[in-house]
Amino acid sequence: MSPAVVALSIVGLVVGGTIAFALYSVRRVPMDPHQYIVAGRSFGAFFLWLLLAGEVYTAFTFLGAAGWAYSYGAAAFYILSYGTIGYIIGYFLLPGISDVGHARGLLTSGDYFAERFGSRTLGVVVGALQFFFLIPYVTLQLTGLQILLTIAGYNAYDARVGVAIGFLLMALFVFSAGLRGTAWASVVKDGLVLAAVIFAGVAIPLKFFGSYGAMFDQVNRAHPTWLTLVATPTNHSVIWFITTVALTAIGFFAGPQNMAAILSARDGNVLRKNAIWMPVYQIVLLLVFFAGFSALLIVPGMKPGAADQSFVLVVQHYYPAWVVGFIAAAGSLAALVPASGLLLGGASNLVKNVLGDGFGLATGDRARTLATRVAVLSLAVLALGLWLIYSKTLVDLLLFYYNGITQLMPGLIFGLVWRRVSARAIGAGIAGGLLTVLTIFYEHANPTPWGINIGLLALVVNVIIVVTITLIWPRKDAAVEVPG
Amino acid sequence: MLACIVPAMLTIGIPFANRLEPRVFGLPFLLAWIILGMILTPVCLSLIYRLEGRANT
Repeated sequence: MSPAVVALSIVGLVVGGTIAFALYSVRRVPMDPHQYIVAGRSFGAFFLWLLLAGEVYTAFTFLGAAGWAYSYGAAAFYILSYGTIGYIIGYFLLPGISDVGHARGLLTSGDYFAERFGSRTLGVVVGALQFFFLIPYVTLQLTGLQILLTIAGYNAYDARVGVAIGFLLMALFVFSAGLRGTAWASVVKDGLVLAAVIFAGVAIPLKFFGSYGAMFDQVNRAHPTWLTLVATPTNHSVIWFITTVALTAIGFFAGPQNMAAILSARDGNVLRKNAIWMPVYQIVLLLVFFAGFSALLIVPGMKPGAADQSFVLVVQHYYPAWVVGFIAAAGSLAALVPASGLLLGGASNLVKNVLGDGFGLATGDRARTLATRVAVLSLAVLALGLWLIYSKTLVDLLLFYYNGITQLMPGLIFGLVWRRVSARAIGAGIAGGLLTVLTIFYEHANPTPWGINIGLLALVVNVIIVVTITLIWPRKDAAVEVPG
Repeated sequence: MLACIVPAMLTIGIPFANRLEPRVFGLPFLLAWIILGMILTPVCLSLIYRLEGRANT
């Protein structure tokens, strides 16, 4: 058998097996909207940990982080930093949101906005934005999947067909299994990804360089500006690092997929315990960086976009086909399982808040589950479309997502701590933030003036607008109680 | 207070930690600094969890 056949069959078997396992696990669960979208709000610490880990550690972790370490060196460390701070923010923020969710039976982040600020329109807007900004995030997973399948096929096949098939399978999986199925699929995924990353981050550097110290010495000799933050025309400054960490840490839990996970928790303490222990999982990222730096020395000279595949390419060059197969399988699951969570989060927002509350469609339980399933498929197709016409590095896609989604955070946070904020203030803030992002994006060839992250700039504009409007026109009917 | 240590380390602390030497277990200092922040996070958060629990009961 040719190596491509061996590697691709392993990928097929593992992905197929995982889907079958997850479907088997949820075969007796009835599928009303509460089960389907937030799994009956029943998840304890362990299941939630699986789900959150599953959503945070994606194809991006697997390939993008290594690609950035390869292309930009120390700038990639921002990924370690923002996750860590994100969990600290989450520790204080999430239990409050979860309490509101339980008390009022919320399903989506659009619900949260509509309920807290007493404005259905705001819920519609938030629901639509969530759906829109998820598209690049799903596209990111597809790009990752394409890289893996191309390498597992030893460049002998057009990977795009494989990606389309794999992804539609996953959309069908979400269609039938809902959030609980996604959590079960995460069990298999995390085990495999962990094994793959330990292999890539421990076995490869030690085999080629003997020790991490020796590896970093060699990196430093070949690329003296790689191990610290040095502002050059092609690289990222300290200011870029700090502002990007700030933006992404604040936006860490802003996505609809995070909201679903938060609302699926049994109570606030489950979320607190998770925030305490999740940073430990970041060690995985560290190993991915090691793999990226090794690849920089072993297969030098790749362009930023191509560098996303760097360490998998090392595996392909120096290891047997079955190793390539397992690594690619782990990576494919890391792309597909989070993508299913994203699809579900985006679709539930669209259906509940835009179609349901906005236009009065699909309001019954049965109709809503059906509409959510249809929306899952539509989001999948949209992301596939974007993926076919638009290709960027994985990190660029991720930052695009964060620039937009973080503009929702003032609403989430002020909603918990400041009673007088009105729907109008939050809406104006979101609009101002998004306009800022768009303006800078189109006015400048280089979209980061002084290296400041544009999303953070927009967030500052956003907060100033919210605070100003609230001070001038405070909300009068402060009937909604602020949860403690 | 406790909660602020790590975010400060990883944002305003970065310009000061942005260097190669001294190496820590062979790792560049910047990377070691960030890892330290990562390890301190569960420690800080579980301390806060304990303190909060005492305040609530």
